[in-house]
Amino acid sequence: MRILTAIIAIAVGFLVLLGYFFPQAAPLQILLLDWAIILAGAAALVGFFNIAIVHLDKIGHRDRNAVYSAILVIGLFATFIFGIILKPQHPYMQAFALNGIIVPVEASLMGLLAVSLLYAAVRLLRRRADLMGIIFIVTAGIIFLGSATLPFGDVPFVGTLLRPWITQVWALGGARGILIGVALGTLTTGLRVLFGADRPYGGK
Amino acid sequence: MPIPIDFITGALGFLFTVLILSYLIGDNPLFKIAIYLFVGVASGYAAAIIFWQVLYPKLFLPTATIIQTGNYSNAFLLFVPWLGLGFILMKISPRFAGAARITMAFLVGAGAAVTLVGALSGTINPQVMATINFFQGAIHKPTNELIEISFSGGVILLGLVTSLAYFHFGARQKPDGSTKRFVLVDIFAWIGRIFIGITLGVIFAGVYAAALTAFIERVSSLVIFIKTLLGIP
Repeated sequence: MRILTAIIAIAVGFLVLLGYFFPQAAPLQILLLDWAIILAGAAALVGFFNIAIVHLDKIGHRDRNAVYSAILVIGLFATFIFGIILKPQHPYMQAFALNGIIVPVEASLMGLLAVSLLYAAVRLLRRRADLMGIIFIVTAGIIFLGSATLPFGDVPFVGTLLRPWITQVWALGGARGILIGVALGTLTTGLRVLFGADRPYGGK
Repeated sequence: MPIPIDFITGALGFLFTVLILSYLIGDNPLFKIAIYLFVGVASGYAAAIIFWQVLYPKLFLPTATIIQTGNYSNAFLLFVPWLGLGFILMKISPRFAGAARITMAFLVGAGAAVTLVGALSGTINPQVMATINFFQGAIHKPTNELIEISFSGGVILLGLVTSLAYFHFGARQKPDGSTKRFVLVDIFAWIGRIFIGITLGVIFAGVYAAALTAFIERVSSLVIFIKTLLGIP
């Protein structure tokens, strides 16, 4: 099984890669990616039902949080069944599930982040007042001060010169370094999978 | 008189905003109810979207068409997805869960190839070219512009190189067994820390501004709903 899975992963990977370099291989690449989309969708669906199974198990074992698990399972199945019957674009689905629950909860959680981030910044200054921490907080402070809408307009120098200079020159350099670093890591991981050195699908 | 759908949406939004913001007084059952329900509803909604936008048009509908028309010439195109689906479903049984690895291998192989090309053409190439292009044509510009471009471009280039050096953890082992990075990499990494600190500070400010905007929007929605309920203009 280990050899079979490695052969499948390597063969599929190289065939998909081939489509990017040779137009003759593009139809095969499209077919393989189409299959991958279907299988990824099916895997995601199985994942959602795995959530339900885990929580049903908790309800069965009368876990401490069984009541919350029951709420989750009811919410999951009710939304899924109505979503299948009505389709997700139906006005009722949009009104109840999307605009009634999902969007307000996501926005409120984002709002809570404002409080959590402020608390984290204060803790950072208290616990790790080293060079990196000070640069981090001072930069964030300058950006806030430069972006704030004040009754008299922009803060002279900070809003008009310092903030754009930091964001468009200094932060850009660091961000490019981080982005390229992440991409190089991704590239290496992809190559390791294609050569069979890493087998995240199982097997050594 | 039927209750308008907009009112129900507003009431649900009001209720869930209050439940989530109750976390400000500490972790409590109301917050947990909202979070668990949110996870359930969001999962169910995503599952319905996957069904209607992926599985139905790409698998179920073509299969039904083939069966209805009796034209099996293209049936082999759907054989692999059905087989893969079967293997994934075997994950439910602990005894046959290993078969799901075949489908996972297919997904990982295709994903690795797409990610590899994406990283190369979507990030590395554009970012490197943007850094190079910053200097393009600078030599023909007036002196003051040339100095400005050279300085800004130099800072960006220095930031890029030193930030990358910060993430270089290769080290040589000394005769006494201790390990140390190459001196030049160490110096570059130290400068890189400053650039990374600045970058993370800017990102923090951006995320905080977005979070604050969301918080204000939510509080404003609560006020508007109460005003609407009480008929206050």
